[in-house]
Amino acid sequence: MLDGIFTGLSTAVMPFNLMMVVVGCFAGTFIGMLPGLGPISAVALMIPITYGIDPASGIILMAGVYYGAVFGGSTSSILINAPGCASTVVTSFDGYPLAQQGQAGKALALAAYSSFIGGTIGAIALLIAAPALAAVSLSFQSTDYFALMVLGLTAVAAFSGKGQVIKAMIMTVFGLMIATVGTDKTSGVPRFTFGSIDLIDGISFLLLAMATFALAEVVMTILNGKHKEKDAQLDMAQLGSMKLSKEEILHVAPTVARSSVFGFIVGVLPGAGATIASFLAYGLERNIASAKEKLKFGKGSLRGLAAPETANNAASTGSFVPLLTLGIPGSGTTAIMLGALIAAGVQPGPRLFVDNPDVFWSVIISMYFGNLVLLILNLPLIPYISKLLTIPRPILIPLILFFSITGVYLVSFNTFDIHMMVVITVIALLLKLLEFPMAPMLLGYILGGLMEINLSRALVISDGSFAFLWERPLTLGIMIAAILMLCLPPILERLNKRKAVRGPEVAVNEGEG
Amino acid sequence: MIFTKDHIGGLIFLCLSVTYGYYAGDIALLPGDEYEPFHAQTLPYALAILGGGLSLALLITAKSDLNHKLSLRGYDFVLVAKLLVLVVLFALALEWVGFLLATVFFLVGGYWLLGERRPKMLLLASVPFAIGIWFALTQLLDVYLAPGQLYTQLFGG
Repeated sequence: MLDGIFTGLSTAVMPFNLMMVVVGCFAGTFIGMLPGLGPISAVALMIPITYGIDPASGIILMAGVYYGAVFGGSTSSILINAPGCASTVVTSFDGYPLAQQGQAGKALALAAYSSFIGGTIGAIALLIAAPALAAVSLSFQSTDYFALMVLGLTAVAAFSGKGQVIKAMIMTVFGLMIATVGTDKTSGVPRFTFGSIDLIDGISFLLLAMATFALAEVVMTILNGKHKEKDAQLDMAQLGSMKLSKEEILHVAPTVARSSVFGFIVGVLPGAGATIASFLAYGLERNIASAKEKLKFGKGSLRGLAAPETANNAASTGSFVPLLTLGIPGSGTTAIMLGALIAAGVQPGPRLFVDNPDVFWSVIISMYFGNLVLLILNLPLIPYISKLLTIPRPILIPLILFFSITGVYLVSFNTFDIHMMVVITVIALLLKLLEFPMAPMLLGYILGGLMEINLSRALVISDGSFAFLWERPLTLGIMIAAILMLCLPPILERLNKRKAVRGPEVAVNEGEG
Repeated sequence: MIFTKDHIGGLIFLCLSVTYGYYAGDIALLPGDEYEPFHAQTLPYALAILGGGLSLALLITAKSDLNHKLSLRGYDFVLVAKLLVLVVLFALALEWVGFLLATVFFLVGGYWLLGERRPKMLLLASVPFAIGIWFALTQLLDVYLAPGQLYTQLFGG
């Protein structure tokens, strides 16, 4: 393990990779601040850049963007009560009231410190958990892989929010359907190409991710008329002090410790992720608070701010465990990273640990660097970075549109892809209006090819019998977990009805984060 | 009965699954594939059945209340349509007039559609940006950008 850590360290400290961490954190913070664009869109916008660089540098850049976007989302939640992404919605519950009381600086500092500690504890846990899990998963067979992919897909559907399970499952199937377009990997025959040469290679991952998470998100803000909203008026003179007193630190320390561990565990679960972790951590902290402290929640409680901020960063780190060790993304954002890695010729999963130790370890090490960058560079620069929020929307929106379109064009140099993007964006808009979550579709698309190969292998080995699903205890165990995942939401919903939970509730959708 | 978002979504996916299943039959099989436990049509058929079943489940479980009704009020579809047409025109312009001019055209068009009317602002926010991106791509990153068919036809390749 020490060898691995040194390999990772030597890759992560390369000047270019350090620059990727810094650039990623800055770019992520900026994109994350823009209302409507979250980590998932920010990471999607980075895919074209990763195509031209080494896979390790590429994933380091994306990890930096991921962190930065979560941090940027918190900043806009606190300063202007406009969460940049779902995982920072809870941050605004107590962060914005603090800003209104003239303590925006303190809220931002607490958010940054909590994120840093959450991320650090998460990175240490990842350092221990990932190699252990990777070692175990080396014994996996194709039947286990198939079961794991079913688990990954059902988990995303299960965590998609109240009353959304069927819709999320439909979207997963839709993603699997899109994955079948193009040449069949096992037999080499074309499927659903309708004679078009442009479809022989299938629909590219980059195109699908950019159209559904970058272009469609931007177009949705225009559809909602958000571009007409007045540009954020930030008075940086009213930020207040960024210092926390000793009493305040002691007051939030247990919260930060609890939420770090809790957030990491939630993040590790396939399908959960930063959004769910932040909501659960806030709920947990509120439930265990004293009656007097409970009254402060929603009105500027420091514990109410620290809990979700710590948990969402710890969960962001935790979601890398299933990605790096099993090749199953823990959230929508890591699903995009999985796609980008596969496109770069790196297959995340148990073999990654053995075949590409530089990628495996450098990601883990650079995560820690990412946390440091956020704390040392981004926090003091927040007053300046947030000035970017004042760029008029009529100027900003076409620029983001331009980057998403040219990002796809500059990889293929085929204008057919731009036309295809428009078609997919229109479909995505319709689905968004009908409240269908997008993340399960992308996950279905990414896992579709691998799932088909493993299912075909398992069926051929077992001579067409589905007995492989219950003959191996490990496969059976994973399949039972998948079934439980699907049965869990209705049971929880029923339990929640009985025990009417009080407090702020916002629908969590898309399994984003 | 109130027709809600879930009903519309369920119907769309039901139609999609039926069409997908229909075209799955058109996938060519290699000789002897029909005796194999798994071939190119297996997963598409399974997905069509699964998609159809889930769509029906959505249609059956959909609640008929006013809160879930699809309302298109307050959405600016015209502006979105104009922007998407601009994207299509950008793709055409890329082929005909090349990257630099197409970018300037796209950005000016985008700013204009979103309400920016000051000529100075329109030019300042587009021309230097387009030249900067073009310079970075062609001169720094050594990416070849085709000059456009119009240019090639007028001045030769």
